[in-house]
Amino acid sequence: MFFTLLKKELFVEFRSREVTLSMLVFGLSIILTFALSSNVSPTIIANYAPGMFWIMVLFVAVIGVHRTFSYEKEFDAFSMLISAPIDRGFIFLTKWMSGFIFLTIMEALILIPFFKFLMIDFPLQPWIAIGTTLLINCAIMAIASLVSGIAMRARLSEVLLPILLFPLVSPVIIAATKISGSIMVGDPYSFWKIWLLIILTVIVIFGLVGYTLFDFITEE
Amino acid sequence: MKPFFNNKKNRSGLVLIAAMMLFNVWNVIMNTPMVPEQHWAQKIFYVHVPSAWVGFLSYFVVMVAGILFFMKKDDYWDLVGLAAAEIGTVFMSLVLITGPIWAKPIWGKPWIWEPRLTTTLILFLIYIGYFMMRTFGGHIERVKRYAAAVGIIAFVDVPIIFVSVKFWTPEIQSHPQVEMAQQPSGILIPFLLSLSIFTLLYVLMLKYRIHVIRINSRVRADV
Repeated sequence: MFFTLLKKELFVEFRSREVTLSMLVFGLSIILTFALSSNVSPTIIANYAPGMFWIMVLFVAVIGVHRTFSYEKEFDAFSMLISAPIDRGFIFLTKWMSGFIFLTIMEALILIPFFKFLMIDFPLQPWIAIGTTLLINCAIMAIASLVSGIAMRARLSEVLLPILLFPLVSPVIIAATKISGSIMVGDPYSFWKIWLLIILTVIVIFGLVGYTLFDFITEE
Repeated sequence: MKPFFNNKKNRSGLVLIAAMMLFNVWNVIMNTPMVPEQHWAQKIFYVHVPSAWVGFLSYFVVMVAGILFFMKKDDYWDLVGLAAAEIGTVFMSLVLITGPIWAKPIWGKPWIWEPRLTTTLILFLIYIGYFMMRTFGGHIERVKRYAAAVGIIAFVDVPIIFVSVKFWTPEIQSHPQVEMAQQPSGILIPFLLSLSIFTLLYVLMLKYRIHVIRINSRVRADV
């Protein structure tokens, strides 16, 4: 059932490309804004780059997750989805996984413009950077999918989503910035181990809470 | 439904707690010893820490009420959750006001990113979102479920927020009340007394607020 739902999410997206395209264009606009508003030395930009990157990812994630849930509202598709005889926790898991995939695709496309426009050197340990980025994406999307599931059918959902999400996701953003900053300058694993543990904790806790709560949230 | 304070037990509770609060203020000002480096600024901790305790207790009640609301499908737990969220936010505001009042003379600036204050601020912001959800969420039955979910998620997130902020700013010293158990009895006993009185005040406020919200919802249902 999980894979059927995930296939549906990916099929809808790859046919329309609404989510990834809007995430990509929005991400590029943020990079442009950062580049134009931080006319300072490359050293200072390098110091702020991890924070800038994760702020951009967070904004883009809001756009993406809002879109993946809001197209379910069209023709009342979500009501039909939850009336199907399936475990609703799987709906959360598929929204989480599809959001993770869309965010990762967006990041893969946007990484080169980010480093080139802001004139930052690539990380010294690229594979570690990629691995940790995937985990951080997973943590951001766990919280974002759950909050979006809550806010989706509320009035003013587009306002409520970031207002609820940003404070809840703050530990992930702190950890993400610290991990990326350490990897950029080649710090050993022991320097950022605690942050990785925080990310893993978020993935496990919000994964379980989301899976459990989604059934109650989506009741009619 | 009769007014809350028509009930003799509630009225006596109010009088007793008001008297205890007045005694608490007098006791803190007149009987607690001056801490050499902090002078009068230290006295704010007899209000600051109990407010933080009540705030977190209240948010814990929101989480428990949320879980019970989902399990029992009883609107009573939604009322409890809303009342506890309102009172918790009032006390968290007190924490955010009294913290900087203490910090200014001691640290020289009203705000530094101290882990507990930062955690309080983040939780306060989550609850601003909670009330916006309650107000602007739309369909009333759905909003009850969303609010219960937000209450659960918010409290689950607290330890993660606290740990991340603590490691984010390890150089920032902790509040002195961490070692409260090791304080002399001249400080410890009035502190524990203040904590108990604030907790009793919280229980009365919660009962009163549940009563008022229940009347409000009945009036709305009748209209």
